[in-house]
Formats: sequence, structure tokens, C-alpha cells
Amino acid sequence: MIQTLPHSTLLQYVYNELPAERQREVEEVLQHDPDLAAVCADLLLAQRALDGVRREPRPETSEAILRYSRTFLSKS
Amino acid sequence: MDLLQPSDSALISLYLAGQESAFAILLERHRSRAFTTILLIVRDEDVAEDLLQDAFIKAIHTLKSGRYNEEGKFAPWICRIAHNLAIDSFRRGKRVPHISLTDNDRLANTLTITDDGPDDILAREETHTRLRALIQALPPAQKEVLLMRHYGDMSFQEIADATGVSINTALGRMRYALINLRKKMTANSLDYDSNLTPFDTTPVCVQRIAG
Repeated sequence: MIQTLPHSTLLQYVYNELPAERQREVEEVLQHDPDLAAVCADLLLAQRALDGVRREPRPETSEAILRYSRTFLSKS
Repeated sequence: MDLLQPSDSALISLYLAGQESAFAILLERHRSRAFTTILLIVRDEDVAEDLLQDAFIKAIHTLKSGRYNEEGKFAPWICRIAHNLAIDSFRRGKRVPHISLTDNDRLANTLTITDDGPDDILAREETHTRLRALIQALPPAQKEVLLMRHYGDMSFQEIADATGVSINTALGRMRYALINLRKKMTANSLDYDSNLTPFDTTPVCVQRIAG
């Protein structure tokens, strides 16, 4: 069994960048390493917080983009 | 192809075939990430709105001229355009940064509809505004990786290629960005704030961002 993981691997795991087999290895390690699991939880917490700050533009901005696209289409 | 969730590349093909509605879906799917990336760099909502338009107009031109060659990876591509425009604008520094907390109409337009009352919504938005400020205060190299990975949907390898560093450096910067944010969140009492998100205490039960 793997005893430790580099935090860079954990980061790739959290961002779903590892192949399936490697993911399973990481999950196995997390189940037996509470400290690493806590680090993983921290990463996920930060990740969720980052999702929370996502903002939408004004509807008018989207409308302007779509209007421009239609104009472009009629020119071609 | 999943007809309910067409891929970006399928939408691009439909758009190039003349279906404007396909572009509307692409815009709806990616405008939030691109807008957030821009806003976190330029710190000015009006400038960010303008730059978002510029980014998508640039994308429209590239698509329509047949120069698009991202092999279906529209998200990182549009966010890179947005990121580059925002960096250029920020360097020119023509506008004074401001993020208003008082425009209730603006808040109503940007917040997800929930069952929370107005006070909850305002408290959550205040928390998010403070978190945005923490992100903006990160060292530039760390902020760049964080924006590219989290909002730009670029892989760590793509970020490494785009910024001219090794993947280990990109990973290290992201790690320190998250550590820095974590420290600042704790110092600012933002951590484990119920306004942000209810935290599942089961550490191994992870919900990762889809790649």
C-alpha cells in the first residue's frame, strides 16, 4: 500500500486529472491516512469556496454578444 | 452525442452550420467562468463586462473565419482569450477599481436563486466579495494558475505550457495559492462560514470538479 502521496498528486486528484487507476490508489491512501484526508478536505473546501465567487455578467452583455454574432452571420 | 448536453465541439459545428442557438448555449455555458476570470483580474465590473464582449467577439471571428483549432476544448480557449484581454487591460490601468456592494439590482441578476431571504443573500454576497478580494491579493503567479485552473478549466499541463513552466511548478503555484487562500480565509473568519457552503465532514467522500 502507498503510505504517502505528494500534495501535487492530491491536487491533481481533487481536480480530476488522474487516470482511473491512480484515482483509486489515492482514495485507498486517503482511507488510511487521516492527515492526508484532512489536507484533501481543505483543498475541497477551498475549491467549493472558489466556486461560490463565480459571477454572471449582466443579461445585457450576453444579449449584445448574441446580437453581434447574428450581425456577423448576416454579413457572411 | 447526448442531445440534452451537446459537447462544445458539437455546438461549434452547429454554429458554423448557421445555428445561432448553438452559440447561445456555448455562451451560457462559459460566460460565467470567463467573466469571473476577467473580474478577478481587472476588479471593475464595467470593464469586465466590456472585456467579456471583446473576448466572445474575438471568439466569433476566429470561429467564423475557420481558424479555430482547439480540438473541442472551447472552455480553456475562451478563458485564455478572456485572461489575456484582462491582463492587457489591467496593465494599461486606465480605470479605477471598484466593486459595488450596494447595487441590489445587480446582485439580483447575478445570484443564484435560492430559498434564502434577502439578508442571507446579501451576507453570502458579502462573503464572496471578501473572498474575491483575497484572491485578488494573491501573488500574481499564484493567482494566474488559480484563475486558469479553476475558472479557465485548463489542465495543469495546459497551464504549464501556456505559462512556460513545468507542470510541477504549476502544481506548486496552485498549491500555494490554495494554502494562502486558506490562511487568509481563516484569518478573516471566512473559513467554514455557513454562508459559503455547508461542509461535509466526511473527508474521504470527495466531490471533485469534473475534468
